Amino acid sequence: MLEDLLQIFYPRTYTLGNGKTVREKFNPLPYVVIAFIVFIIFCANFTGVNFKVLMEKGHNFFDMLYKMIPPNWGYWKTMQKAMLDTINMSLLGSVFGCLIALPVSFYLSSNFKLNKTYLVSHRFVLSLLRTLPTLVLASFLRMVLGIGALAGTLAISVFSYTICVKMMYEYIETIDMGAYEALQSTGASRLKCIISAVWPQVKGYFYSTFLYCFESNVKSAAILGYVGAGGIGLNISGQLTLRKYGNLGMVLLAMMVTIMVLEAAARYARRKLVTG
Amino acid sequence: MSAYPSIEQQYKKYPKTWVQFIIYAVAAFLVVAIWNYTVEFEGYTERGFSIIGIALKGLVTPSWAVISDLSSSGLLYMLFETFAIGFLGTIFGTILAIPLAFISSRNIAPRFVNLVCLTVITVIRSFPSVMYGIMFVKTVGPGAFAGVLTMTIGSVGMLAKLLVESVEDIDPGIVEALDAAGCNGFEKVRYGIMPQLSSGIISNVLYRLDINVKNASVLGLVGAGGIGAQLIFAIQDRRWSDAGAMLWGLVILVLLIEVISTRIRNALAGKD
Repeated sequence: MLEDLLQIFYPRTYTLGNGKTVREKFNPLPYVVIAFIVFIIFCANFTGVNFKVLMEKGHNFFDMLYKMIPPNWGYWKTMQKAMLDTINMSLLGSVFGCLIALPVSFYLSSNFKLNKTYLVSHRFVLSLLRTLPTLVLASFLRMVLGIGALAGTLAISVFSYTICVKMMYEYIETIDMGAYEALQSTGASRLKCIISAVWPQVKGYFYSTFLYCFESNVKSAAILGYVGAGGIGLNISGQLTLRKYGNLGMVLLAMMVTIMVLEAAARYARRKLVTG
Repeated sequence: MSAYPSIEQQYKKYPKTWVQFIIYAVAAFLVVAIWNYTVEFEGYTERGFSIIGIALKGLVTPSWAVISDLSSSGLLYMLFETFAIGFLGTIFGTILAIPLAFISSRNIAPRFVNLVCLTVITVIRSFPSVMYGIMFVKTVGPGAFAGVLTMTIGSVGMLAKLLVESVEDIDPGIVEALDAAGCNGFEKVRYGIMPQLSSGIISNVLYRLDINVKNASVLGLVGAGGIGAQLIFAIQDRRWSDAGAMLWGLVILVLLIEVISTRIRNALAGKD
C-alpha cells in the first residue's frame, strides 16, 4: 500500500521477459500539485488568512446587511443626481472610447499591411495603458482636470478605448479578406473597401464590445467618487463614515437595480444587434 | 425574364438605411444632451496642465529608493501582496464557485434550486468589488485578509456564471457510456465529467486571475491591503517619482500575468 503511494512520485521500472528493464514515463503532475499547495499556504500566511477570525467575526458582515434592510427611501432625492451622473459618465466614456477605438482598430490590425513600426509601438503603449485600473487613471486625471465628472468620464473613455481596440483588432484579424480584395481589384479606395467589405463583418462584434464596455464601466464608475472623480462613490464612503446604514442600503439597492436592468437591456440589445 | 429580378426590383429590396441613420442621429443627440447635463468644467484650473509635465517627468524617473526597499513598505513586498490577494481570491473563489455552478445548472439540480442560486449569483455580481472591500474591512479589520475575502466574493459571482454555461453543455452520453461499462461514481466523475469541464474551468480561472490582480491593486484604497493605497496617496501627494516606481511595478506584474495566462489559455484551446 505504502509502496503504491510512493510510486506516484517516481516512475516504476519493469523487467521484461527478455531481461530488458523499461521505465515508465516520468509524470511531473504530483510535484506540480505539491508546489502549488505549498505556494497557496505561503500566500495565505503572507496575507494573514485566518478562518478562525472569519468564523468569529463573520456575523458582522450579515449584521451590516440587516441594518441596511429597510433602505431609507427618502435618501433617493439626495443621491439621484450622483446616481444619474454615474450612469452618464459610463455611457459617455464608453461612447467616446469606442468611437475613437473603431478607426484605430482598423489601423492596428495586421491584415491591412500598414506601417509595422507604428503598429507594434501603438499596441505596446495600449497594453501598458490597459494594465492601469480605472481608479488610478481617474486619480491622476483628477489632479490635472480638477474634481468633477470630467476626470471620471475621461478615465472611463481611456479604459474603454484600450479594451475596445484590443478586442476589435483581434477580431478584425480573423475576418474573411476575400471581399476586401475583390473590392480593391475594382479600384475602390481603401476607405471604401473597409466601409463596404469589412465593416458589415465586424459590425455586430463592435456593438457587442460596446455593450460589454458600458456594462463593466457602470461598475467601475460607481467607485470613482472615492478619488473625487464624480459619481456615486462619494455617497457610499460618506454614508459609511457617518454609519447611516439605511442610506447605504438605498445606494446599494439603486446600484443593484441599475446594473441588473442594464445587463438585461444589454443582453436583449446584443441579441437584436448581433444576430439581426 | 421573370427568373431574374430587374435592377429596379433589386434596388427596392435593398435595406432601408435611413432608419438606421435616424437611430444614429437620435443616439448622437442624446449623448450630446447628456454631456451638457453631466460634465462641468468647474474644477478646471490653468495649473492643471503644468502638472502633466511634472508628472510625466516623475513617471520616467522612478524613485529607486522605493524599488530597492525590501521592507514591508517597499515596492516588491506590496507587489507580492497584491499578487497574493488576487491569487488566493481566485483559488478560494474557484473552490466556492464549482459547487455553486453545479447546483445552478438545469441538468443537475431541480428548477427551483437553480433559480434561487442564479438570483444569488446575479445579486453578488451586481456590486463593484470595492463595496465588498469596505464591508469586509469592517468585518475582519483592515489588512490583506479583507482583500482576499473581497476577491473571493467577486470571483465567485463571475466564475459561477461562466461555469454554469459549461456545466449545462456537458454531454450526458459519455457518462451513460461509462455507466454501461460498469464504472463507479468516482470513475464517472473523473473520466466522464472532468475532461469535459477542466479546460473551460482552467481558462476561466486564468482569465479571472488577470482581473483579480488588477482589481486587487485598487483595494488598498479602502484599507484592504495591496499596492493601491500607497499608489493613490503618492499621486494625491504629488510624489510623482514614487508613484512612477509603483506604476511601473504594477504594469510589469499585470503584463506578466496577462502574457502567461494568455499563453496557457491558447494552449488549452488548441491554438498555437
